[in-house]
Amino acid sequence: MGLNWNAAIESIPVLNRAALLTLELTAGAVAIGVVIGLIMALGRLSKITILRGAAITYIDFFRGTPLLVQIFLVYFLIPKLLHWQELPDNYQYIAGIAAMGLNSGAYIAEIFRAGIQSIDRGQTEAARSLGMTHSQAMRHVILPQAFKRVIPPLGNEFIALLKDSSLLSIIAIEELFYSSKIIAGRTFQPIPMYIAAALYYLVMTQLISQWVAYMERRLGKNDLR
Amino acid sequence: MIYVKNLHKSYGKLEVLKGIDCHIREKEVVVVIGPSGSGKSTFLRCLNKLEEPTKGEIIIDGIPLNSEVNVNAIRREVGMVFQRFNLFPHMTAIQNITLAPVIVRNMNKAEAEKIAMELLAKVGLSDKAHEYPDHLSGGQQQRIAIARALAMKPKVMLFDETTSALDPEMVGEVLAVMKDLAREGMTMVAVTHEMGFAREVGDRVIFMDEGIIMEEGEPDEVFSNPKNSRTQAFLSKIL
Repeated sequence: MGLNWNAAIESIPVLNRAALLTLELTAGAVAIGVVIGLIMALGRLSKITILRGAAITYIDFFRGTPLLVQIFLVYFLIPKLLHWQELPDNYQYIAGIAAMGLNSGAYIAEIFRAGIQSIDRGQTEAARSLGMTHSQAMRHVILPQAFKRVIPPLGNEFIALLKDSSLLSIIAIEELFYSSKIIAGRTFQPIPMYIAAALYYLVMTQLISQWVAYMERRLGKNDLR
Repeated sequence: MIYVKNLHKSYGKLEVLKGIDCHIREKEVVVVIGPSGSGKSTFLRCLNKLEEPTKGEIIIDGIPLNSEVNVNAIRREVGMVFQRFNLFPHMTAIQNITLAPVIVRNMNKAEAEKIAMELLAKVGLSDKAHEYPDHLSGGQQQRIAIARALAMKPKVMLFDETTSALDPEMVGEVLAVMKDLAREGMTMVAVTHEMGFAREVGDRVIFMDEGIIMEEGEPDEVFSNPKNSRTQAFLSKIL
């Protein structure tokens, strides 16, 4: 099959930088996603109809439309909404992280909701019977237990997001896939370059799942169940 | 201390409480007995509004239990101990006990811990202060749950079948703590199947069936000379 690996080997420094950028984009998106997810999960579980409706609409929209479309929408919508005459430098990173964060917020909201609902009703009852308000019970009793339980699905979401960040190549962010594609086009060696890209993704997703497993063990040490 | 007037509770079409009237005096120990499904747990849970009454009135310590504003104020004064303990599994015994005094009563942490240690000594578990609930037996967990409720210095304690989920050899240690409390003059309402406890420390026994109070009176009287045929049938099965 006569593959020429030179191009791939020579581009290792470029790929390292691109992989780092991929990780940074993903981490930024997860950070935004966790905050949005928590707010939306609490909204989804709220007794107040408007809050619940808003949360459901948000979650349905971002889970029911393609991330690719959302990336374009966010990319073109932000300058319009903020009345920017010209785009700031590196605008694509802001748009990219925002789009992925908004998207993952919807998925993380459902993860948190499931986590909160999985906590035994007796926990809320015990907290409320001690005179705690609903939010005190949430903050001190329910959420700490729910967080521990959602670590595995949150890890999966992190991994999914890392892989989906390759879609950001569409708005010219030089993340891992974009860089591989450029080099592949320039060197006419697509197969080695995409194998290299795949390996980079694989190593990163493996590292994340190891880290998640470690966190799970560490936080679960007080549970015998 | 607690006035209950014409209390009704329905779940959809199922009417669980069909008009309960009762008055519980300060320092009184009231034991609620009755077959399962008689509404006794629901009645108890209405007293701190874990269940929302469909109709009727509850006044605790002069405060009517009707608006959301009052609920947290009332719950601070009414301690509850559950059948399945419901300790917070992510906290040690002492953290379980100090949490509510610190965040609800704004007590400083050192003082809350001092009180918690006194309560742990009282329930005989001073050496378990820093254990997590999962490392404790059912009886120990329940004693910590009692200490947790007492830390709020409640005026009334509600016990919802607190020994029903325990292995037989652990029932005694929990009942002993409850008996001590009764002797110290705590106002208590206990739903229980422990007739020995009812006889020993109960000032009054309430027999509930089909959502109403069928009979009430002093324990000796109700146990040895029940007047209602339902009470007779129930007692003949369990005594």
